[in-house]
Order: sequence, then structure tokens, then C-alpha cells
Amino acid sequence: MRLHKKGLSTLTKLVREEPALWMGHPLKRKEDRRLLTGLGKFVDDIKLPGMAYAAILRSPYAHARILGIDVSKAERLEGVVCTLVGEEVAKLTDPFLQISSPPANKLKDYCLAVGKVHFAGEPVAAVVAETRSTAEDALELIDAEYEAVDHVLDAKEALKPGAPVIHEEVGSNVVFRGKWDYGDINAAMKQADKVVKKTLHFHRFSSTPIENNAVLAQYDKATGFLNVYSNNQMPMFCIPWVSFALKFPSNRIRMVTGDVGGGFGTKIISYPYIVLISLLAMRSGRPVKWIETRTEHLSAANHGNERMFEVEIPVKNDGTILGLKVKAWDDCGAYTRYEPAGATIWAQVTPGCYRFKNFQMEFLQVMTSKCPVGPNRGYSRMQHLWMIERSVDIVARELGLDPTEVRLKNFIRPEEMPYVTPSGGVYDGGNYPESLSRVLKLIDYWRWRKEQVEERKKGRLIGIGISTILDSGTNNFGQVKITNPENPFSGNSEGARISIDGLGGIQVALGTSPQGQGHETFASQVVADEFGVSPDQVTVLMGFDSAVNPYSHQSGAYASRCAVMGTGALLGAAKKVKEKAAKIAAHVLKADPESIEFKEGHAVDRDSGRKIPLWQIGNIAWVNNVLLPEGMEPGLVAIHFWRPDFGLPDEKWRLNQTLTYSYQSHAAVIEMDPETGKFKILKYAIVDDCGKQINPMIVEGQVHGAAAHGIGAAMYENFEYDEDGQLKSSTLVDYLVPTALEVPDLVTESMETPSLFAPKGIKGVGEGGGTPISAIANAVEDALTPYGVEISDSHQNPQRIYELIVKKRKKM
Amino acid sequence: MTPKKFAYFAPASLKEAIQLLRVNEDAKVLAGGQSLIALMKLRLAAPAALVDITKTGDLLSYIREGKGHLEVGALTTHDTLERSKIINKKFPILSDAASKIGDQQIRNRGTIGGSCCHADPAADLPTALTALESEFVVRGVKGKRVIPQSKFFVDTFTTSIAKDEILTEIQIPHTPPKSGSAYIKHSRREGDFAIVGVGAVVTVGPKKVCRDVRVSLGAVASTPIRAKSAERHLKGKTLDEGNIAEAAERANEEADPPSDMHGSRQYRLDMIKVFARRALNLALSRAR
Repeated sequence: MRLHKKGLSTLTKLVREEPALWMGHPLKRKEDRRLLTGLGKFVDDIKLPGMAYAAILRSPYAHARILGIDVSKAERLEGVVCTLVGEEVAKLTDPFLQISSPPANKLKDYCLAVGKVHFAGEPVAAVVAETRSTAEDALELIDAEYEAVDHVLDAKEALKPGAPVIHEEVGSNVVFRGKWDYGDINAAMKQADKVVKKTLHFHRFSSTPIENNAVLAQYDKATGFLNVYSNNQMPMFCIPWVSFALKFPSNRIRMVTGDVGGGFGTKIISYPYIVLISLLAMRSGRPVKWIETRTEHLSAANHGNERMFEVEIPVKNDGTILGLKVKAWDDCGAYTRYEPAGATIWAQVTPGCYRFKNFQMEFLQVMTSKCPVGPNRGYSRMQHLWMIERSVDIVARELGLDPTEVRLKNFIRPEEMPYVTPSGGVYDGGNYPESLSRVLKLIDYWRWRKEQVEERKKGRLIGIGISTILDSGTNNFGQVKITNPENPFSGNSEGARISIDGLGGIQVALGTSPQGQGHETFASQVVADEFGVSPDQVTVLMGFDSAVNPYSHQSGAYASRCAVMGTGALLGAAKKVKEKAAKIAAHVLKADPESIEFKEGHAVDRDSGRKIPLWQIGNIAWVNNVLLPEGMEPGLVAIHFWRPDFGLPDEKWRLNQTLTYSYQSHAAVIEMDPETGKFKILKYAIVDDCGKQINPMIVEGQVHGAAAHGIGAAMYENFEYDEDGQLKSSTLVDYLVPTALEVPDLVTESMETPSLFAPKGIKGVGEGGGTPISAIANAVEDALTPYGVEISDSHQNPQRIYELIVKKRKKM
Repeated sequence: MTPKKFAYFAPASLKEAIQLLRVNEDAKVLAGGQSLIALMKLRLAAPAALVDITKTGDLLSYIREGKGHLEVGALTTHDTLERSKIINKKFPILSDAASKIGDQQIRNRGTIGGSCCHADPAADLPTALTALESEFVVRGVKGKRVIPQSKFFVDTFTTSIAKDEILTEIQIPHTPPKSGSAYIKHSRREGDFAIVGVGAVVTVGPKKVCRDVRVSLGAVASTPIRAKSAERHLKGKTLDEGNIAEAAERANEEADPPSDMHGSRQYRLDMIKVFARRALNLALSRAR
């Protein structure tokens, strides 16, 4: 037993200076050693005995009838194990669950196209072979015959009478049509000195995780288990989709994830691939692996929602915004795989950071012959907030006011927190004016304003753009009852298990299925503080395994929820373990359980100062249980499921859609080259507030990542289709992800306004709300002031900017 | 994706490599592989055989003085070009071009010969070499021949090298004293393919008169081309801002650019003028 004591003290010494609390400490990530030394365990690292490889044939057409698919030549190729086509899938599986209300929920979606293809890149057939190359060779031997029919690439076009209907069973291309109406927008229009009107467009882009989708499925005939190794980021949420489609019992599906090279939302809707590869595993009797290629990922995995807005903003001459009236057309592509969730999720942040009470939104979600959309970092709020932040700048310009002045005038005040928005959101604390003034100081705003005037005289075009955006986290699934009250989802929940074994080892398991965010690290910090040990003494299981980890069907890495939900679950489990451990300690020490504290690896009696080490408590609990208090159950382990206090939408669709509302202010200074339309970022500053931080280093990394992603969206990343419905940016040669050369130095600062509702005052962080997209759009328009160019698109393509300048020059 | 099945040869000499190219149907030379392998991976190219010339033992990576020209071995990497003192001093246009290709990993493996033989009209080095009126030394069964630049690039992805010939060296004629050169490109990101690439070589005569000028354009036709009209306009004139700007206005006359998502035909035509002016000014500033 002395050995164990020694073991513990050695571990403790590894950390040189222990802070009083591990929460708030910039601890280096526990995951990094294995990831940086190439020891990460990704799906493609798994090799099972007898494993075969799948490849997928995809539609070359945006919209076409499938006349026939002949796989006979492919099946004769040496090394081919089996094939699968859509017609067979329609017999073997049920269509995927739909969460729309009728008639959109009649949509029939299978893992391979049945009868018709609906976008270029849609899977139509699959091959399993001994090697990946053979599977790909076999694809070329499949004779697929199509008859092209008219396609439609624009949401507004898709609504017109006579437009091609993507899914005949739905009857039209409309997925959702809804109207949110709060306050009195008509009265606001009448009171206004001016009504600013604008048409805006938010472009299509997505995330580009370094690891594409990946599935390895194995049907174990002996146990009847379907073992699925994937990098899906909500593996247990998608169980109903997988189980119902496959008609396979949920209690024999084992979902496993390991290290994941990023998700950002795009890996939520990979369930068609999980079903496809499972079918292939069952058909072939072999474990089957499929690793998505980059082109497959870009063209057929998951795009972000494209959205058009018609905005009317009633304002007073002093800059007071009286309300917002919006019509939105959301283009969700060819299938609704997580939609129409995006049609309501924007309402997490209905008024942005602003106080106006009058609000009207007519929202239409429409299908087109393009890649289906799904969650993508800042999902649905990003589009909405971009529209608001762009509108605020337009208001400032039209009234001749500084955009910072208009923001400060209209911000929700810190003393109004918690603030209830017109749509029932409850903002959990924050100081938007301070955030803005801090970012202005960081970027040296007023000096740039002066410099801008001076430089203009010399012909240099400097632009300054500001944006303050909400980064809402931990969603209330009750939001999807807005689009369909029948949806059996509400609230949110997460599970955690903490055990102290017979040798005093603390082990933690979470349901959060990390995608690279550092869950092992933050969970260690939270648990270390609870037990008065160092994070090195807390082992957190990597990845997720439904046969091992506790989970709820809302578990997963999405909606910036893991720190908040994970901490809630961890604190609950820790409380249970500590209560029991305290009773055991009190029994040994002959003390009052109420006076037991956990410090430095010991349970300490506050009254007497006497203590016993954790390992001894574990020893009694598990293997020396005659020493347990009378009647106590052996073992020292607890599972806790935590849920925040959420409600359901009322008759006006008011509800608090998320638990936390982080926010960020961004400021960008750019220099525009009017001869080319290209610009560069001269300086970039960010102030973020995600409440109490568990690990400031991880927070800063998230802030940087989200900024880089937003800069990418604003300046480089764009999914553009040609007239035939072919994606132009289907490789990384054309889908331009920013590199280290494109992302400027980021000057960052943090505020820590504790959440009024979340455990420990923490708030979700990581999505960033796409803030750079509006900051940069605002900066571009600002730079082009001498030309009077207006920016109405979220993507700043140099050619388009150049053309806007040329058009204005001609008029000058 | 993975490439289609192909044979791989790593011959021990250039002679053997040439033989392999002769006897194998649809064989391709593999140098740095930075274009070819990417195309094969996407199955846009599917050669039956690759003849790897990096292991022949014949040293094809060098930069050395020749008779009236500089000789650059075909397997010289972009990174070597970018960092070469002699290139930076005599032909900064080449280090400009090499430094803007892809990323560091690509520059570590990609070669000048590979880039020229691949003959992508948007590639940087072919455009720069066009302004330099370089010559291309190829070896075949019958020995060596020298192809002038004007005959080398035939069409998009097509050169005048025969199936059983290998490019071994690029010869760059020395420019007279008081010459300067530059290559600049318009691209979305730093290392992307050019929307427009412009190379310029200027030789300054007495009284700042333009003794000689060459302007080359990339990504605006099926091969790199010369902007002859602009050159004619500037030759013999004083090299001042006005004349350079006037010449640049004529730089797009020979161009026939394509459209893609990064630049329409019209945008490219307009950008040629902007970048021709900037390239000429930069080249002039380097003329000593």
C-alpha cells in the first residue's frame, strides 16, 4: 500500500506550481501529446481482421432520373466483394426520419439515391472490395444511366410556379414557412424618421475539418451487435435515424468514436453514411471501412445554410433602431437531414445585442438542387447576426453616424441583464458596451479613423469594420417544436461517470464525444478541483463508446455545449461520489460526514484535522468492504445526468432557446486595392466573453480558430455552382481555406462575466458566431466610402468588389 | 481517392529512362510529382507507367554559368530557385515566381522541369521563363536538342517534347547590364494559381530610354504568351510612369483568357493591365 501513496505523490510533483483552483488555469491540453506525436486514434487508424473497403459512386447530375444501374461488370472485377444500389436500399431500409411538419416530412431520403438524383455528388451506388483502389476501380465499371431533368439552384426560383420540384412526394420545394411577430412593427415604421431598406445575401460555405467523414462498420454475427466506429459528432442522437432506417434494434448498436479531426457541425449529418456502410458490412459479412475524400466532403457532406434577406429597419435620426422587419429565404439544398432546425435556430438571438422590441420575420426554407445543408459553426445564428450587424452599419451610414455610436445607442445595457428578448431568449449576463469599447481601444479605433482621412488624400483606402455578435450555446431542443410540435425532442442533457477505484485512481467518462476541443483537459480540471487533486491524477476516457461511456440521446459535441453540459454532469457525479466517500471517511475517522473536505488527495476532517487518503477510501469501497459503514452498498462510482432548466415554445413561439449567450466584439482594419478589388487585413482585434473560463488557453485557441474560419468565409471560402448545378469549388484548389499566411495576427482580450444560469458561471465558446464575416463586410464598405459602394454579400470576392467599383466609377 | 493502377520505374540512368519511355505505352516522366500525382489521385490523369527520373544518378539539379546563359538543371526545386543567390541577383523574376508557387512543401519537391513539362498556362515559372526567352534542352534516343521558348509550349498541358524525350536543362540567356526583371501575380491566396501572372524584363539604355523590354502573361491563354503590343509601345521610349502605364494599357491585346470562379474573362483582361504596369515598374526599379 505504500507503493500507491508514493505513486500519488510522484504524480502530484509533475505539476510544478499548483494553482489554488485548476479551473481558470491555462493547463496544457492532455490530448496534445498523443496528437502531436502521431499517436492519435482516428477511424482510419483502426484495422479489423478481414476488413474490406467501400467506395461510392456519385451522381454527375444536379437532377436526373435514374434509368438503370448495371453493376455486373464491377462485380466481376477481381477483388470486389459486393455492390449495392439504391433500388436495393429502398427494399432493405426505411427512409430516414424527418423532423419537418407535413407535407415536407413526406420527403423520402435514403443512403443511396432511389429513382432520382437530387444534387451532383449524391451517392447512387457503392462497392466493397479487398482494397480501396480496387473499390475505386470498380466504380468506373458501373454503368449508370440517367435522364437529366430540369434543376433549380436558387431558393426564390424554386418557389415559382412551374419550378422543378426536387421531391415530388412533398409537392413543392417548401420545407418551412413561418412568421415571427413581436411588438408592433407597423407602429415602429410609423414612428420612424427613416426606414432603411436593403437586400442582403449570405453565401454558402462550410467547415473544412482536417479529417473528413469516416465510418467503419462491423456486424458481429455471434453477438448480433452492429459495431460502428465513426467520427459522427452526435453518435447517440443519430441512433434513431440509424436504428429505424436499418430496422435494427437500438440496444445492439454500439457507437464508438476516437480522436476526431474537427467537426464544426459538419459531422452531425453523417448518418446516411453510417447506414450505408452498415448495410455493406451486413451484406458482405466483413468489417467495411469508408473514408470520405476531400472532394466528396466538399461536394456532398454538409454545406452551411445560404440565406437571402429583405430587411427594413425603422430608425430615428439619432440612430435609435425601433425595430426590424425581415423576409428571409433559406436555401437548404436537396435534403432536410437536420433541417428545418436551421429555420428556427436563428431565433436564439432574435435581436442580436440590441434593445429593439419590435420584430417581424417571415421565414421560408426552400430546397434546391444543391448539396444538403446542415449545422456549421454558428449554425443559422451566424446568417441572422450577419444580417443584423450589416444592417446596423447601413443604418449608421445612411444617418451619417459612426457605426460605433449606433451600436452603443442600441445595445442592451448590462443593468438590464438577465435580458428577455422579444422571442423569449434570456441572455445570461454580459456587458456589450464595455466589450465594444475594449475592442476599439485594442485596435486604436479613433487613431485609424484619423489616419483613414489622411490616407484617403494620398489615394490609400483604409477601412475599419466593427461587429459585436452573440455566440449562443447549449441549445434547447424544444426549438424544433416550432417547426413541428410533434417532434419528440426538448431540453438538453448530458451524462458523466466518475469512479474512484480500489487503488484510489480517479476515472471519468463523459458522453460529449469530443472532436478535438480538449474535453479530457477541461474535465480533468473540473474534477481535480472537486477532489483536491491534480488534473494528472484524473484520467478521462478518450473519445466515446456507447458500451462504456454514460450518455443521453442528446450527448455529443455541438451547440458549444460541452463545457457547460459536461461540467453540469461532472459536478453532479462528483457530488454523489464525494458524499459516499465522505461517509466512508467519516466512518473511519469517527467524524461527522458534513465536516469532511477533499484536499490534496485526502479526505480531511475539518474539525480534527485527521485525514485518510483517497486510495484508502477506494480500497474500503471496493475490496475491503467489511470496513464499510453498516448497510452501505460497495463501490465508489456515480453516474449523473444533468439538464438545464428549459421550457417549451409558447403560442407565439417564444422560448429560451439556449442556456448561455457568450459574445464577441471584433474590429478589423483593412486596406483595399481599388485597382483589383483585393484587400488585406492590417490589424485585427477581438474581445470575447464566455463567462468564467475553465481553461483560458483552450478558450483563446477556440477564439483564434473561429476567427480564422470567419475570415475564411468572408474572404476565401465559397461554394459556387455553375449553371448545370456542378460545384465549382470541389477541391482545395478552388475552395480556398485560409492558411497561416492569410490569417493576420489576432490581438485578443477576454472579459469574464459569469453566466447567471450555467454551472460555475461558464458559457459555451468556440463557434464565434461568424463575427469576422460582418466585421470584414463592414470594413470593406467603409474602405470604399469614396466610391459609395454598398456591400450586400457576405463573401468578399475581389472580382465582385472590383466590378462594384468600376460601376460607380462610370457614374462618377 | 487513389490513382488507377500504374507501373513504376526508377531507372538508374537517363539513357535507361529514355528507353523506358520509348517502350512503355502511355508512360509519363515523374519528377517532383506535385502536379502529376495530384491529377492521378483525382483520376484526371491515369498514365500506365511512371518513369521516375529523380534516381538516375545523373545530376539534374544545378544552377551554373554556361556560355552566354545560365543553366538550370530540370530537377532544380522551386525552393532552390527561390533561395539561389545567383538567381536572386541575375534573374529575380525567377525567384519571384518560384516563391509564389503553392506552399513550402510543394516548393521543396516541385521542380522547374516538372512545372514546364506540365505546361499549365497558369503556372508561374513558365510565364517567367517566357519573359526571359529561355531555351529548353531535351534528351532523347538521338541525343540532345535545344527547343526555343517560342516552340516549347504548344497548348494547355502540351509541350513540343516527344514521348521519348526528357527535359534536362533550361538555359536562360543573360540580360545586358542595366536590366531588371520581375514576376508578380494576382491570386486569391498567396500560393494559389494565378488569376493573372505577369513577367517583365526591362533593359534601360542611355537617358532612361527603354532599350529592350519583354512582358509575358500567364493564365490568360492556352500557353504563356508575350504582350508584344505593349513591348512595341515601350521600346525606344523613356521609361517613365506615363509611358509604362500607356504600354500596360496595351498588355491585354494578345490575351484570350478563360473564365472561372476566381476571375472572369473580363476581369482578367482588366487585371493584365494593372499587373503589367506593376511588373514593369518593379522590373525597372531593379534595373542596375
